[in-house]
Amino acid sequence: MTTPDAPLHEPHLALHVEDLTVGYGGAPVLLDADIDIPPGVMAAIVGPNGSGKSTFLKSCLGLVRPAAGHIRFFGQPLAQARARVGYVPQRSTVDWDFPTTVIDVVTMGLYGRLGLFRRPGRAEREKALKALADLGMLDYADRQIGQLSGGQQQRVFIARALVQEADLYFLDEPMAGVDATTEAAIIAILQRLRDAGKTVVVVHHDLSTVKRWFDWLIMLNRRVVAQGPVATTYTRDNLRAAYGGQLAVLDPADHGLGP
Amino acid sequence: MSPLLTVALGTALLGALAGALGPFAVLRKQSLMGDVLSHAALPGICIGFLVAQERSLPALLAGALIAGLIAAGLIQLILRFTRIKPDAAMGIILSTFFALGVVLLSHIQHSGGAAQAGLSSFLFGQAAAMLASDVTLLSALAALVLLILATFWKDLKLVAFDRDYARALGRPVAAMESLLAAVTAIAIVAGLQVVGVVLMVALLIAPAVAARQWVEGLLPMVLLSALLGAGAGVSGALLSSTARGLATGPVIVLVAAGLVLLSILFAPRRGLVWRRA
Amino acid sequence: MTAFFANPDAMILLTGLLVALAAALPGCFLVLRGSSLMTDAISHAIVFGIALTWLATGYISGPIQIAGAAAAGLLTVLLIEALTRTRRLNNDAAMGLVFPTLFAAGVLIINLYARDIHLDTDTVLLGEIAFVWLDTTRIAGMDIPNAVISLTVFAALNLGFILLFWKPLKLAVFDPDFAALQGLRPGLVLGGLFALTSATAVAAFDAVGAILFVAFVIVPPATAYLLTQSLAVMVTLAALIGMGSALAGQQAALALDVSIGGMMALMTGAFFALALVAAPGKGVIATLLRRRNDRLAFACRTLVTHLHSHAAGPRVDEENAITALESHLRWPRRQIRNVVLRALDDGLVRREGAMLVLTEMGAALGRETVASVAPLIPPRPQDQPQPAPPAA
Repeated sequence: MTTPDAPLHEPHLALHVEDLTVGYGGAPVLLDADIDIPPGVMAAIVGPNGSGKSTFLKSCLGLVRPAAGHIRFFGQPLAQARARVGYVPQRSTVDWDFPTTVIDVVTMGLYGRLGLFRRPGRAEREKALKALADLGMLDYADRQIGQLSGGQQQRVFIARALVQEADLYFLDEPMAGVDATTEAAIIAILQRLRDAGKTVVVVHHDLSTVKRWFDWLIMLNRRVVAQGPVATTYTRDNLRAAYGGQLAVLDPADHGLGP
Repeated sequence: MSPLLTVALGTALLGALAGALGPFAVLRKQSLMGDVLSHAALPGICIGFLVAQERSLPALLAGALIAGLIAAGLIQLILRFTRIKPDAAMGIILSTFFALGVVLLSHIQHSGGAAQAGLSSFLFGQAAAMLASDVTLLSALAALVLLILATFWKDLKLVAFDRDYARALGRPVAAMESLLAAVTAIAIVAGLQVVGVVLMVALLIAPAVAARQWVEGLLPMVLLSALLGAGAGVSGALLSSTARGLATGPVIVLVAAGLVLLSILFAPRRGLVWRRA
Repeated sequence: MTAFFANPDAMILLTGLLVALAAALPGCFLVLRGSSLMTDAISHAIVFGIALTWLATGYISGPIQIAGAAAAGLLTVLLIEALTRTRRLNNDAAMGLVFPTLFAAGVLIINLYARDIHLDTDTVLLGEIAFVWLDTTRIAGMDIPNAVISLTVFAALNLGFILLFWKPLKLAVFDPDFAALQGLRPGLVLGGLFALTSATAVAAFDAVGAILFVAFVIVPPATAYLLTQSLAVMVTLAALIGMGSALAGQQAALALDVSIGGMMALMTGAFFALALVAAPGKGVIATLLRRRNDRLAFACRTLVTHLHSHAAGPRVDEENAITALESHLRWPRRQIRNVVLRALDDGLVRREGAMLVLTEMGAALGRETVASVAPLIPPRPQDQPQPAPPAA
């Protein structure tokens, strides 16, 4: 609960969201959400289907207009902070039969720095190759994206965000439908980012890995159910509040909770 | 410049224009919008004629462009304010605008006059009617479109590939989409005189689909598509001139369709024939 | 009666009315199904059917042509589907390729071989309704135009079809999976619809041509869609609006000396425009008003919820509240005042001097909104959700 004269912009927070309400035609998808994410954490956003996770992400990135509320990145609005925010959308948002190569896609992450008229040159190519190498995709640089597997596609998207050299990264369900090797590679990269002081925010669908991989947790179900460090937030009560009766079907041990 | 050269040059330019813009329409899944723009152009052409009182290509093209703009705007209106689905909205605008064009055309024909004889050639296209001044205008338009594509290439490519990511990156997505719509409209409208309103959509789509089977990369696709479009245009125009009273549009479309069939079947790697074996 | 059938104007009108009726009936289902553009494609492609059938058999009209047209229509659908399945191109690209190609082939055949007969490209596109009364057949001692005969047959056929298959059609449009489960063969029923429409297109060919026919199939049903929620009413209205367009079109065309068929088709658009703007409930004006109201109501909810959850108490200094709302909700001052005024009007808040007080009703609405946005999966009774912990 904040009083009107409390400092609202919180520059020491990577993400500060206040009173975020997003609704379509009278039905709120996200209501009155207050969310704070400190810098240098690997945060997971979890919740059942339709709980507003993707909507929250899209509102932060300016892809969806909220009905109310405001969002600050390191104390600044999106317009000023864009260069510091990276985005990895869901794979399904793109037609993978598009005629383009892997390195081409990764280079797109640099367009923000090039402005309207400059073309990507050698420096950009070097950066793209480095990002690909970090994701283990260097050999695929000139491959057509239509020839990639799901896991490879995901790595390309992440490499594209990496070249932005952002301070805060949003990823929308990056582990969905990827093989175990890719999963491990992605987590390694994300943890490396976190260890370097970056903030990573992941819309995550798999409860069983929350405790293993993440150190910050936000539970959504159209409102904020709970948020904070994973250790204190990932509790049976909070899970019930977020997932309701569904939890009765699942074994708490599957979700890393003791008996 | 001999009439044959005029026709060849003119249809090559048109074919190349349509070919160059086709990939963007096809990749963004907006092929049929090209059909709407073509049909909607008919009343615009008629009004352009009525205003200029003669078959002045700049006037006709301007009329066609404005009509296309209004048609696109009306479709947006229908989509934003009613629950009518996009395909129905497009169908409504397409048939209504075309009907208006038919009405205006009949009005012009009933008023008589020799100049109006060239107008009905816009239904199916008549390359033989092309003038040297038309070729000059078309060259200017082609140069303009080329300049725009070259200048904004990377952002046009990004918007076609991943629109949401482009927005998140802060790119001027709305401006790029408007630009694409504008140059596509120019390409369509310019091609109408040779292919006709009914068939133009095929010249927009076919070279792009054919080219896609052979190359990897957007730039090669656009270049090859422009080449194939030009080829279809010229061969169609020359073929149709061999027989009397043959409209150019149908011949061009059949040539282009043939290219698509060949490409889908025989292109290396993507060709269906190789996949079966 | 003989005089009636010999009257050109009357026959033109009758033909137009029949086209409108015969087209609107299947049109309703095609539009609802999302097949408007497919209908457009088929109407173009039947030109190929007509040209080929004529080349093969020498008939320009009659049952053989109709069969040829139906075949061409189905061929179009099959070709488009086959092309799409190769995955080398998208569905809309396939459509935009197949119908112009078939249409071009048809036009070419006509251009090359049919120069001397009453089958030229302009007629193909536009028809010539003014001449329908010339081709007649003697029935019961009267000379009735062929177009009238065939269109009456199709109007009856189409009406019979949709009455007979009303339920399967309805399900095929709104819930094709359920229809398939019920064994109602939605694919077959829709295929029948396409075939009938193609055949009707040929019957209407002489009168309005391939392309204007599409207007009668698509536009009056879309207009009716804006005016009603009931399928039966929609079909009836579509037929009436179509026929009204034919009547109005003929009158206008005669007055302005323009193409009759074109004017009739244009009138379908005019009626649509009218409904678009003025339809109660679904029209532009009604939608604008409703959206503004919805936005204001939603904003009130947001306001009330905010006061309910965040205020230090139910009584807040109005000026402070407005400043706080500005910085919390990021609403411009003017919008906040509008919303506060609306909330006051609705009795959700009241003024006490300089203070804004949440009323009983306002507090209830706040609680209800919060509760309505509660978990999608209802919790077990023993797990009632705790109120959200305070933000970190």
